[in-house]
Amino acid sequence: MNRKRITALLGAAVLAMSALAGCGGGREGSAPAPAAKEEAAVEESTEVATEDASDAGEATATAEEASGAGFEEGATIGVSLPWLGTQNWKEAETMFKEQLEAAGYVPIIQAADQKVPQQQQQIESMIENGAKVIVVGPIDGTQLGSVLEQAKDAGIYVIGYDRLLENTSGVDGVVQFGSVKTGELQAQALLDGLKEVKGEGPYNIELFGGGPADPNAPNFFKGAMSVLQPLIDDGTLTVVSGQTDFTQCATVDWDNAKAQARMDSLLSGFYSDKDIHGVLSPNDGIARAIITSCENAGQEIPVVSGLDAENESVEWVWSGRQYSTVAKPTDALVAQTIDIINSLRDGNGMPATDVTADNGVKEVAIYELPPVVVTKANAKEVFANDPSRLELLK
Amino acid sequence: MKVIKQILGGDLKRYTMVVALVLLIGIFNIISDGRMLTSSNFQNLLAGNAYVLVLALGMLMVIVIGQIDLSVGSVAGFSGMVMAIAARELNLPWWAAVLLALAIGLAAGAWHGFFLAKLGIPGFITTLGGMMIFRGGVIWISKSISVPAPEELKWFGAGYLPEWGPKFTGMNNSTLLLGIIGIAAYVVTQIRKYKKSADVTGTAEPIWAVGARIFLVGSVIAYFTWLFGTGREGTSFPVPGLILLILIIVYHTITQKTKFGRNVYAVGGNKNAAALSGVNVSRTYFIAMMNMSLLAAVAGILFVGRSTAAGPADGTSWEMDAIASVFIGGAAVSGGVGTILETMVGGLMMAVLNNGLMLMGVGADRTQVIKGFVLLAAVAFDVYNKKSGRGSFMSKTKTK
Amino acid sequence: MDNNPFILQMKGITKEFPGVKALDDVTLEVRRGTIHAICGENGAGKSTLMKILSGVYPYGEYSGEIIYQGQEMKFRNIKESEGAGIGIIHQELTMIPELSITENIFVGNEITKKGLIDWDEERRRTREILKKVGLTLDPDILIKHLGVGQQQLVEIAKALSKNVKLLILDEPTSALNEDDSENLLNLMLELKSNDITSIMISHKLNEIAKVSDSVTVIRDGHSIEHYDVEAGKVDEDRIIKAMVGRSIENRYPERDARLGEVIFEVKDWTIEDPEVEGRLVCKQSTFNVRRGEIVGFAGLMGAGRTELMRSLFGRNYGIYRGGTIKIEGKEVNIPNVSTAIKHGIAYVPEDRKNLGLNLLDSIRKTIVSANLEKIIRHGLIDFDEELKAAGEYKKAVGIKASSVNVGVTTLSGGNQQKVVLSKWMFTEPKILILDEPTRGIDVGAKYEIYKMIHVLADQGMAVILVSSELPELLGMADRIYTISEGRITGEISKGEANQEILMKRMTTLAGE
Repeated sequence: MNRKRITALLGAAVLAMSALAGCGGGREGSAPAPAAKEEAAVEESTEVATEDASDAGEATATAEEASGAGFEEGATIGVSLPWLGTQNWKEAETMFKEQLEAAGYVPIIQAADQKVPQQQQQIESMIENGAKVIVVGPIDGTQLGSVLEQAKDAGIYVIGYDRLLENTSGVDGVVQFGSVKTGELQAQALLDGLKEVKGEGPYNIELFGGGPADPNAPNFFKGAMSVLQPLIDDGTLTVVSGQTDFTQCATVDWDNAKAQARMDSLLSGFYSDKDIHGVLSPNDGIARAIITSCENAGQEIPVVSGLDAENESVEWVWSGRQYSTVAKPTDALVAQTIDIINSLRDGNGMPATDVTADNGVKEVAIYELPPVVVTKANAKEVFANDPSRLELLK
Repeated sequence: MKVIKQILGGDLKRYTMVVALVLLIGIFNIISDGRMLTSSNFQNLLAGNAYVLVLALGMLMVIVIGQIDLSVGSVAGFSGMVMAIAARELNLPWWAAVLLALAIGLAAGAWHGFFLAKLGIPGFITTLGGMMIFRGGVIWISKSISVPAPEELKWFGAGYLPEWGPKFTGMNNSTLLLGIIGIAAYVVTQIRKYKKSADVTGTAEPIWAVGARIFLVGSVIAYFTWLFGTGREGTSFPVPGLILLILIIVYHTITQKTKFGRNVYAVGGNKNAAALSGVNVSRTYFIAMMNMSLLAAVAGILFVGRSTAAGPADGTSWEMDAIASVFIGGAAVSGGVGTILETMVGGLMMAVLNNGLMLMGVGADRTQVIKGFVLLAAVAFDVYNKKSGRGSFMSKTKTK
Repeated sequence: MDNNPFILQMKGITKEFPGVKALDDVTLEVRRGTIHAICGENGAGKSTLMKILSGVYPYGEYSGEIIYQGQEMKFRNIKESEGAGIGIIHQELTMIPELSITENIFVGNEITKKGLIDWDEERRRTREILKKVGLTLDPDILIKHLGVGQQQLVEIAKALSKNVKLLILDEPTSALNEDDSENLLNLMLELKSNDITSIMISHKLNEIAKVSDSVTVIRDGHSIEHYDVEAGKVDEDRIIKAMVGRSIENRYPERDARLGEVIFEVKDWTIEDPEVEGRLVCKQSTFNVRRGEIVGFAGLMGAGRTELMRSLFGRNYGIYRGGTIKIEGKEVNIPNVSTAIKHGIAYVPEDRKNLGLNLLDSIRKTIVSANLEKIIRHGLIDFDEELKAAGEYKKAVGIKASSVNVGVTTLSGGNQQKVVLSKWMFTEPKILILDEPTRGIDVGAKYEIYKMIHVLADQGMAVILVSSELPELLGMADRIYTISEGRITGEISKGEANQEILMKRMTTLAGE
């Protein structure tokens, strides 16, 4: 009956659609975000560069080739952090905010609450917000591949912060403390402490590792074992439980509660008739969990290493409950990152570095900083420029 | 108001959530200086949330039968991890690894289904067990270390449709084709419905209402076609979005137009009455649970594709996002109520909220708080409507 | 106070819900020390009136006045009406199954000593109160271990514990069997002699006739008639006329049965209780039904009527222990409900809300739900066919609703039952089993359902009618089987049957 009218309607609908579609015009130019427009030029050059780099497999070449194309002062800088649940990340958040603002940038700093999909989306929203550089402290360094490549495609520099970004070509460099080196320092501090506190050996010790999803954790352990293994072999050190593999010693998610539970069972299982002299701990939270566990079990407090120089542990070191910690001064890491950002802004590309690491896809430039061991003996000296921590040493 | 009612085809209450979603997008777009409604943002929005929406599809059916599945995150993580390990360490081709992941999903679902349907153990407990078993399984087989996935899988999680054909269209032609198919399908169904309406109900809808409806929906599809199609060269409507779209159509049809779908609602509404109407209740339970885990595996594949690696913590608390989507979409805790389309609106609501707040630079902490309030508000609103027997705010404003 | 013979006077009560006037100028006067019956069709406004009296709808939400014991009352909640001595026993029991009798009676009202519950005192008082309602039970027994009848009495005991002067009973016997009903009615008479006034809402005219002193009939929110009766003498026809607004000369429609050949034969059907091992709920039952025949099944509560029917319907109940079914002369094996439906059996369960309907569904979806295959094309449900089918049935059986998309919860009991019947007619059954098809349905709708049953039988369907109302069986069935303790104890033709004969066979001990 109304065939004609229906046909007319159909026509109208299709027309309306094509009208809407037509008004868009060309593709790149039509992208409504003003930020995207400005990037068109950068985008193409980097895209080519990336391809070249991955084809040829050249190390660290990517960034340098792209040099020359700087960006304006006052550009947006994205900082994506895994969470704010430990002191060092909270410090990083504050410092990035203050220092980026002081340097005239507009920072977007977001933390992802230890959820990978959340971090992926946050990085995407930074791209969307027109960031020129995105600094990424990953939750899991391997799981950001496609979003980081997306950032790369949009002409954005990606700098890994504190942890390696693996399994992606979308990374220009990583700023971190030498993780193997950190492990070595932790082990050395443990040995020094044993000698100092527990007298002559042999010593009974136990080993703890960090969260396996964090690429640093196995490296800490590796570094530590390079120091400890020879002494275990010659009998100076005895790992009573016999658990010396990283997977046996690892602490999932760096979860203090899990570490404490493991220590509880080690003590009840292996130390009912023995003393424990020392424990290798990968960070301060776990160190405190271990010490608490030993205290609860009625053991004399063993020599325990640590990492991060968290406030509470600094106090414990000062009062002698925890033997040592390793400071990875967040300010140094942040300062190094901002140096790189400045260099990129000025069109000088990524600074040169000798160290690289294979992230599974490419060789990534690494900017390593040395960590510092803190014991009661040198604490005042190490924190001389850190009034808030100095306050704790009273 | 009456005019709008006629165009939308009756019950305006159904559209409350859609209106809320549109308002939300609009508000965010204004606050964020237009960064919400951009090609790349919507591509990200869809690609980044496809896995949750896929889970919500299955969860809807599970909740409608009056159960809950807490294991979906773990099953998704486990399937994804098995896939990555199979491809990397057993050197299976990527497609075989994908099939393996789907098979794992089916097996996990059969496991849950067995305990629920055959032994009568409530789904909450069955899947709480499954949640622990499969979470432990992921950590065990991965030794807590992330495993990179085959390059091809990236296409599923972060890929785009191919570029082809003439340049003068000014957009990705795959996306354009998709849009045209969408509009054509809508026009055809509307016309068919219109023609039949007179025969079946005796009263024909006014032709202008049908026309206006076609124009309205057609414009919306056209707009999104344009939005998705005119992104950077090489981008289009995202592949995970397309997979989701196909699954939505499939599951909408299953729930609304098949015997199994009706059985799902019957069992959820009153399982004794369903049994006396010839519905095989335990079989319905079994299939719903099995389907859920299969979709969990799909979600796991999409996520691994997007992440380029399977991680030991993949899937943690995804079940909560999926459950929230279903309830925001208006499903009832007691079962029997809820639809696929409403659930998708609920899920998009969460996704848009998440995305918009991120664009505004709101942190994960506050985002979480806001999402919690939205969940409560949406469900409270729904309960209020049902309890008082009143219409929505929309229908209150209608002219008498 | 003494010069006012009325304990309660509700005058000019009007209550509106959005869009509906539930009560319009209703007057109710109840004399002290009497049993006052309120009757009316479902939805007439009886329960609303009682909710106003008990404070569920607080003062201000209605207009009119309540004068109770000579004073005007403005109850704002149940607590206040309870405080004034008005107790209400709802149709659905409100006991907590996992708590003991004592705990239930004192829940929310615990007797405490120094902040702790004084169990000894509570138990002592419970025993006392239970005696008043004629129960000698251990006060520590959990409610779930009591029968429905006993629970009802405990519920009344609970009300008595609060010193009631006026007891409202909303359909008190609807869930009780004959013995328990009898018991309850006697209790009401006893309470009356103890100067407790009762208001009883009931459908059952014989009960009203037995105990009430006066009757108020409510129809469509108006009080239609109010008159006193001498105890034991109530004119049932007058009440019915007032309730439905028309006179029903014959409560059962006329019909000439045209019987065909035997279509459904059950032989030696034996079923074991799934919960009690070794207890047989159906013992070698043998019976048959002809085409076009309405066969009644009479039996007391617990005789095994429902169990027999549900076990025949695809073994939906119990454990099969032997017996055969023949349909149209051929022996068939029916292991599940869907096979039963395929063989042309339909079963309308007695418990409509829990077993018969998905209350979330619309009329349209319900009607097609037992035979979706009929409207499935290429694996998908054809909505047009569905709409057409639903529309046809709605018209044919006279379901009163604005459209087929209306939810079944919004319908009255009678209309819900019509929807359930339509659902089973849609399966085109050869054998239709109706288990208490008119329970909880008002008189007018009952008549319509009887007519539907006749039409179906006349179309050649074999109808099995299970009912605990003997007049219904006598009025409807062509032949009646009696069941007692799981055994068929008699087969009586329409001509021979009367209430006495049936009752005798129903109470015959099995094995006799």
